[in-house]
Amino acid sequence: METASQTAIRTIDFKAAARELLPPGASYDACLSCGLCSAGCPASGLEGMDPRRFIRMAMLDMNEELSATAWIWTCTQCQRCKYICPMSIDVSVLVGLARGAWPSEKKPKGIVRSCEAQLRFPGTSAMGLQEQDFVEAVEEGVTAVRGQGDRFARLEAPIDKQGAYFFVNQNSREPATEPEEMGPLWKIFDYVGADWTYSSKGWAAENFCMFTGDDEAWRRMVEQRVDAVNRLGCKVWLNTECGHSFYTVWKGVERFGLKADFEAGSLVSYYARWIREGRLPVNADWNTRGIKFTVQDPCQLVRKSLGDTMADDLRFVARTLVGEANFIDMAPSRSANYCCGGGGGFLQAGMKELRWAYGKRKFDQIATTQADYVLTPCHNCHSQIEDLGQHFQGHYRVVHLWTLICLSLGILGADERKYLGPDLARLGL
Amino acid sequence: MLETEALIIGGGATGTGVMRDLALRGIHCILIDRRDLNAGASGGNHGLLHSGARYAVGDPDTAAECRREGDILKAVAPECIDACGGLFVAVEGDDPEYAERFAEHCRSAGIECASIAPAEARKLEPCLSERVFAAYKVPDATVDPFRITLENVNHAQQLTQSVFLAHTELERFIVDGGAIRKAICRDARTGETTTIHARQVVNAAGAWAMRVARLAGCSGVELLYSKGTLIISNGRIGRRVINRLRRPGDGDILVPGGTVSLLGTTSETVQNLEDIHPTVAEVDRLVAEGVAMAPQIAHTRFIRAFSGVRPLLMAAGADADGRKASRGFSLFDHESDGLANFATVAGGKLTTFRLMAEKTGDLVARRLGNREPCRTASTPLPSADAIRWTEPGFAPRYWAARRQPVDLVLCECEMVPASAIDSIVENAPGADSQMSLNAIAVRSRVGKGTCQGAFCSLRLTSHLYDRQVYDSPAGLRHTRDFVAQRFKGVRPVAWGEHLPQLELAEALHCGLLGLDHLAEDT
Repeated sequence: METASQTAIRTIDFKAAARELLPPGASYDACLSCGLCSAGCPASGLEGMDPRRFIRMAMLDMNEELSATAWIWTCTQCQRCKYICPMSIDVSVLVGLARGAWPSEKKPKGIVRSCEAQLRFPGTSAMGLQEQDFVEAVEEGVTAVRGQGDRFARLEAPIDKQGAYFFVNQNSREPATEPEEMGPLWKIFDYVGADWTYSSKGWAAENFCMFTGDDEAWRRMVEQRVDAVNRLGCKVWLNTECGHSFYTVWKGVERFGLKADFEAGSLVSYYARWIREGRLPVNADWNTRGIKFTVQDPCQLVRKSLGDTMADDLRFVARTLVGEANFIDMAPSRSANYCCGGGGGFLQAGMKELRWAYGKRKFDQIATTQADYVLTPCHNCHSQIEDLGQHFQGHYRVVHLWTLICLSLGILGADERKYLGPDLARLGL
Repeated sequence: MLETEALIIGGGATGTGVMRDLALRGIHCILIDRRDLNAGASGGNHGLLHSGARYAVGDPDTAAECRREGDILKAVAPECIDACGGLFVAVEGDDPEYAERFAEHCRSAGIECASIAPAEARKLEPCLSERVFAAYKVPDATVDPFRITLENVNHAQQLTQSVFLAHTELERFIVDGGAIRKAICRDARTGETTTIHARQVVNAAGAWAMRVARLAGCSGVELLYSKGTLIISNGRIGRRVINRLRRPGDGDILVPGGTVSLLGTTSETVQNLEDIHPTVAEVDRLVAEGVAMAPQIAHTRFIRAFSGVRPLLMAAGADADGRKASRGFSLFDHESDGLANFATVAGGKLTTFRLMAEKTGDLVARRLGNREPCRTASTPLPSADAIRWTEPGFAPRYWAARRQPVDLVLCECEMVPASAIDSIVENAPGADSQMSLNAIAVRSRVGKGTCQGAFCSLRLTSHLYDRQVYDSPAGLRHTRDFVAQRFKGVRPVAWGEHLPQLELAEALHCGLLGLDHLAEDT
């Protein structure tokens, strides 16, 4: 039988929690009420809330109201508030705490189910993919790529290769629904001669457990992945084009004090490195028609973890690929860029209208650039920005970096162009 | 010329208490204040509703009086009171004998007092020091002094169409034939003169009572001015009132005020009533003393300091020590001064204001030939929409329950919505044209939060111009006066975390708006 305590939202003493969880000079007590956080938060106004109001309500001991507000599921924990705050106050930490205090049955079902699916099988896939599903999808994909011609006749996508330099993860979306999108990634590895492997355990590049606010589930998820990398003895855990899967491991290792015998790296920085080293000789010669591109800075990868170094690498890759004159940056950009509204589990949470309202700011930013394409090295950004384009009737398309890299190298297959428009559908074939 | 049965001078707890007391007997009053409601000691105090325990050892009569009056106010004005309870704690270094005698003295004054183990006290109040060696529970409470005066005036307005005139200063009396015939007043804003003809005149001017009495030619009202300074924390520190168990001294009472706490007070005898403001030295002393009871005070963010002047009665030949002077009050009928229609009520405490008003009301009613008894001890104080906004935490709860996105929050710190401001400028006691921001602040929590007016001042001003409450440059001068008033209180606590706040306020007020260089009205 269900007891009341299982279905009731636990009330948190937010002021006390902030004092405990945040550094002394950046606790809620230090808030100037200046509202820079709220001005820069795409979730401001949703559910009548904004970050400053969250802090003020905590200071006014309105713990019940704060514990119960659904706003915590519209905040993507993107930390734009912390970034802009003159006192560096981080609202996202207590949003995470508040999420954890909701009983599972009241939390958005999509996030809870995704986390449960991840905990079910050792692959840690949020889409419930089992080990053999993944292995089969990879094997079939490899066969398909090899069939594209002599250039890739010996291409490999190793699984569980002991001692490989890179341990590469993979967002479940590709093996589950669009396996042809893995081809370009493998071609790039093949092109630069990378020593890499997938793993049959802990391979998935998503972690919704963090977004449920359940720290214990987050920890278990990261532990499984860290174990998988340690066991294969890889030097670098290479996160593919995805944002939060990087953050959850990068932050999780520190937060939960895990022993990781490897370095966490983002594929985007390796793209940049390989281009600089001449191993990935991409250029913009293909872009004769001056097609315009902009780039989204994934919050989890830029602002929340690697910072502007990451944003600079991202721009270096983008500019090289599309040509200096064809790259139009968003404003604001880099660490100050806005979250698209796909993060924090928002895409999985069901609350469509709120998600669109949140994303309107991103849509307007993109529309202002007048770009034909948005480059998104993150799966949630990719899905959200594409959805925003449809909802608000935008005139842009959304692509991964790997698509453009292969296009520039002249190795993009005919069926690897799902996200390209008619302007590029046949280019270089 | 204005006509009334009773003119009351002084818009503090006592003056408004007298106003309501008389109105409940059916008497029409005009209440005037040279500034506004709660402009003196009634606005510059802890908001402590004494159980009487603090005076049990030194002043048993006042102690018993506090106990009786506290019980009455809890019954008639529960919405103004937080019956949070209180603790008296002695810390190492305090006189153990004083602590031992305490319970006995409370008992003889009829005050409930229960000894509890120090560990138990720390469980009740985790902020308490490990060095507490004795603790007693007493029925202390807190009272919202702003709300209670607003309710007094509002009720009197309802009962007999009595009138409150803000910024109306008494200039002189016209005395003739053993009575005050007219009071000549001046509007401090416009300079216009108003003459008030009243059958009875009550001097409830608090610290200014001696001056008012002298304007009537009466020299018997002798007051000692004791300045007290308090500091306000950014958040609430303890659940209960926490008193230091020792002879009253500086920094020995920590009182919750809804969402904040107030630490006080100092006591310094002053000669001059003008330019009373808190100093850094006083703040340092309060913090140094407060730390003994609650060590976290050393690291607590204090957002403001303020001072009030206790008008203490000076008995003939008494020495001039504010701590030792009586907290009792006196009612002067001035008959020995040859006046038949003048009364002065002076001294006393916030806790005993109702009793002071009752005694004054009895005298005034008798002189007017009115036989109605005092009803303030049993008639509940009614509330109203426009006078609910002084309670800390009320506006946020109201806002959260209503969820009206169009009702913009103007003061983000205290979450005061535009609808609250609109109701105040339309209906609160003392609402008049071009109502100042300071006057709105007396009737709400505006400017009392972390930003101390940095942002709400600008939003409020904009809103008032939008609503055409302001329609001239005078509105900006109200903004300036408001932020200047807040700054006076912020300056002595400016330290550490609070300094960035001040920089920001200065940038907004002086850098952006140039409020420091406004043209004066010509």
